[in-house]
Amino acid sequence: MTRLAGAFPLALLWALPLLASLAMLAPAAADVAAWRMALAHPQLWPALALALTTGGLSSLLALATSLLLIGTLWRSAAWGRLQSVAAAGLALPHLAFAIGFGFLIMPSGLVARLLVGGEAPPQWITVQDPWGIALTLALALKESPFLLTASFAVLSRGDAALRLRQECRAAATLGHAPGSAFLRIVVPPLLKTLRWPLVIVFVYGASVVDMALVLGPTQPPTLAVVIWRALNDAEPATNAMGLAMTLLLTGALALALALVVLLLRFGRRAFHRMLTSGPSLLPAPALAGAIIGFAAFAPLAFASSIVVLLSVAPRWPYPALLPPAVSLSAWTAVAPAALWLSLGLALAAALVAVASAVLWFETQPRARDRWVIGMALAALALPQLASAGGQYRLFLPIGLTGTLPGLFLAQLTPVAAYVLIVLAGPYRGFDVRYMVAARALAASRLSAWRRVKLPLLKAPLLTAAAIGFAVSMAQFVPAQLMAAGRFSTLPMEAVTLASGGNRPLTAAFALMLALPPLAVFFAAALLGRPRWR
Amino acid sequence: MPFTLTRRSFASLMAMTPFLSPARAEDGWAAIAAEAKGQTVYFNAWAGSPQVNAYIAWAGEELSKRYGITLQHVKLADTAEAVRRVRDEVKAGRQGSADLVWINGENFHVMKEERLLYGPFAEDLPNFALVDVDGKPTTRIDFAESTEGLESPWGMAQLTFFADGAKLGTPPMSMMELLDLAKAEPGRITYPSPPDFHGDTFIKQALVETIEDRSLLPVAVDKATFTGAVTPLFDYLDQLHPHLWRAGKQFPQSQAQVTQMLADGELLMGLTFNPNEAANLVMAGTLPATTVAWQNRDGSIGNTHFVAIPINAKAKAAAQVTANFLLSPEAQARKADIKLWGDPTVLDMDKLAPAQRALFSDARLPGSVTTTARTIPEPHGSWVPLIEAAWLARYGA
Repeated sequence: MTRLAGAFPLALLWALPLLASLAMLAPAAADVAAWRMALAHPQLWPALALALTTGGLSSLLALATSLLLIGTLWRSAAWGRLQSVAAAGLALPHLAFAIGFGFLIMPSGLVARLLVGGEAPPQWITVQDPWGIALTLALALKESPFLLTASFAVLSRGDAALRLRQECRAAATLGHAPGSAFLRIVVPPLLKTLRWPLVIVFVYGASVVDMALVLGPTQPPTLAVVIWRALNDAEPATNAMGLAMTLLLTGALALALALVVLLLRFGRRAFHRMLTSGPSLLPAPALAGAIIGFAAFAPLAFASSIVVLLSVAPRWPYPALLPPAVSLSAWTAVAPAALWLSLGLALAAALVAVASAVLWFETQPRARDRWVIGMALAALALPQLASAGGQYRLFLPIGLTGTLPGLFLAQLTPVAAYVLIVLAGPYRGFDVRYMVAARALAASRLSAWRRVKLPLLKAPLLTAAAIGFAVSMAQFVPAQLMAAGRFSTLPMEAVTLASGGNRPLTAAFALMLALPPLAVFFAAALLGRPRWR
Repeated sequence: MPFTLTRRSFASLMAMTPFLSPARAEDGWAAIAAEAKGQTVYFNAWAGSPQVNAYIAWAGEELSKRYGITLQHVKLADTAEAVRRVRDEVKAGRQGSADLVWINGENFHVMKEERLLYGPFAEDLPNFALVDVDGKPTTRIDFAESTEGLESPWGMAQLTFFADGAKLGTPPMSMMELLDLAKAEPGRITYPSPPDFHGDTFIKQALVETIEDRSLLPVAVDKATFTGAVTPLFDYLDQLHPHLWRAGKQFPQSQAQVTQMLADGELLMGLTFNPNEAANLVMAGTLPATTVAWQNRDGSIGNTHFVAIPINAKAKAAAQVTANFLLSPEAQARKADIKLWGDPTVLDMDKLAPAQRALFSDARLPGSVTTTARTIPEPHGSWVPLIEAAWLARYGA
């Protein structure tokens, strides 16, 4: 009975609407005309290849960067600072980073102004390059903070951090240098925690639209951009072609992930041998870590400061190193009502998502997780114009569109998906012996949970809530569809204004969207610190 | 049986032709205005320009003061959003969430074809009498398709180029001169790639200037002769592309991106559909005061943008009062003011009273077009998908 009740909130508020809206996409799979149109599209295959390479390479780069940084800084004095920096990087919206990063490297950008100068900018191919290099780099830089934050969820978790520290000490007494102890003791559980976040990073990178429009190639663009255009069209036939392409992209992503799983399964023995072949003298990667850390965070820091400047510069022509005039007009265009609505929705969605996820983990056997995680990944992998479009068509006949509950449920879909994926690793990895000990000391199930498990899981729970909040603050497509013009959230104001391509306005709104999540991430990092450190 | 005019058939004839009786039309309008009071109009309109948004907010204040109508601007990033929403609602049998839509071109065609529009209403609006239907035929013909009163004209648009006059001494006044300029300044000229609206228009302008038989353009495209008709166009583009930005291998994604690259100094020229946009951007500080704008010597593609009422709209009466207000000399003059928006009027100055005419100022500002060129109507809408597909197959990958 409790088992059924525990699954109820997640099933009713999240899984049911999600499944039903995915089912609305099913007819697209059988639409022969749409498939024919999709397969005849001259950009289909090169665009798919670009999507897979930018998504794949950026995920690997982000993973390598994060592991190096953690290896260098874990247990050092700078660890806490890394957490704050990662939080700041995570809160910066993708679009804001893309604009700032683009202004750094583009032919008329700051680097060219500093290095080349002259009347006219050089004809570099630094942004919108046909190979997607600028997009790959930007994605890797932007996703590293996400992977770092997901790692903190386990490395800062009370029980796990304690165990890892003890094991590292044991490894040191067995003659392992810090680098090799890290590789053998911390990396394996870390990778296990990071596998779902990594999948998200890959799927996100392969399907991102806003960054690809600013930095990505154009002829052909990545497949996500082709799909986005097709789904945005007024013609139903073109929309149907976009849906067929969506299914194709999703299938290709699933195939790529399956290949990775196979590779890992075959490579497992060799990996295991490498990790257990006796003590080694691998030092902590101090220098490499410092260089990579600088290379990863300097662009983030530069890009954010550039976005601030861009938001107050109506004009900033080549080769000026500073804007010739400053105007605050872009900052005055915000409607306060939209801000309050967004804050309320984000808070509610994050809290409901975390609460339903905890109820699920507490009442359901672990084996069932793969179903909700699979659904969460599906929710995140599909372009929102498709998945949110299905949800819209589901809510329309029952009168939920244009209502606050409908808007809330539309926000909850991606928020709960992220929360489930981020929380699953740390929550399921909790050392049950703490609970067994608490129950043995005659604590009730609830009070053992409240007084032992909750404090120990505080960091991952707060991180998950903060990520959920940030995800909600960034929702445009589902909100725009479900609001049907009856409500306006901050992202809706921002994206509709940005459709005019006014750079100061876009920059100002992107920063405004970054501030609430930034505050929440800092609060989460602060509140989530173990008490005994 | 010979046709005899009975009293009953006469009455039914009269009922079928309400526009023949001015008194009845006035009664009708009074009824509409009365019904409109207290209604809320959800105006679905692209919101990418702060100037346009401010103008719509002003219209809302006036409508509330004068007619007791609440105007809610539903901000869109893309008008196709509203088209899809209305289609879905009609399919689901729900009452509409949109009462008025800012629309033209393909979106109008789709809505008209799928019978998603209410009307005809436009030509019964009292202020429609002031519209320059003869001088500006696109006020009744939207992309070569008759509007049939299903949308009410709002503003005029015409393909216009702009540049920094300090960097570009002699602007190219035709597509051939543009080719010469591109050869002289390699890598500094480009256009947005289709299906961007402005990119499509650039290609249509090249089509108009290169096609051998222009009489093919206002009618539905004939697939059999299409390839032959566009051969000069693609010959021209083949010549032009190697001299463009990134050697014509990559293209910016939107007109806004082209404008930004011009402002940053990376490109020499931008393009727009609003003849006053460059002047407007100079006012906003985005472009320098040395900016110049021009239209091709032998004319450039022009069209009209409209407002339409979805068939499932809730506040049809207030939507019509709003459309009528947007056509009023006062609202049109304010919209045409470069300092506020700069969207050219659809009205005929000769039909206005002197006091109404005085509302319009024809002051030129830096960045204004100096010599207005002839308007070339849009080719029939059916040309666009075929041209887009041919362009994509040739240059898309």
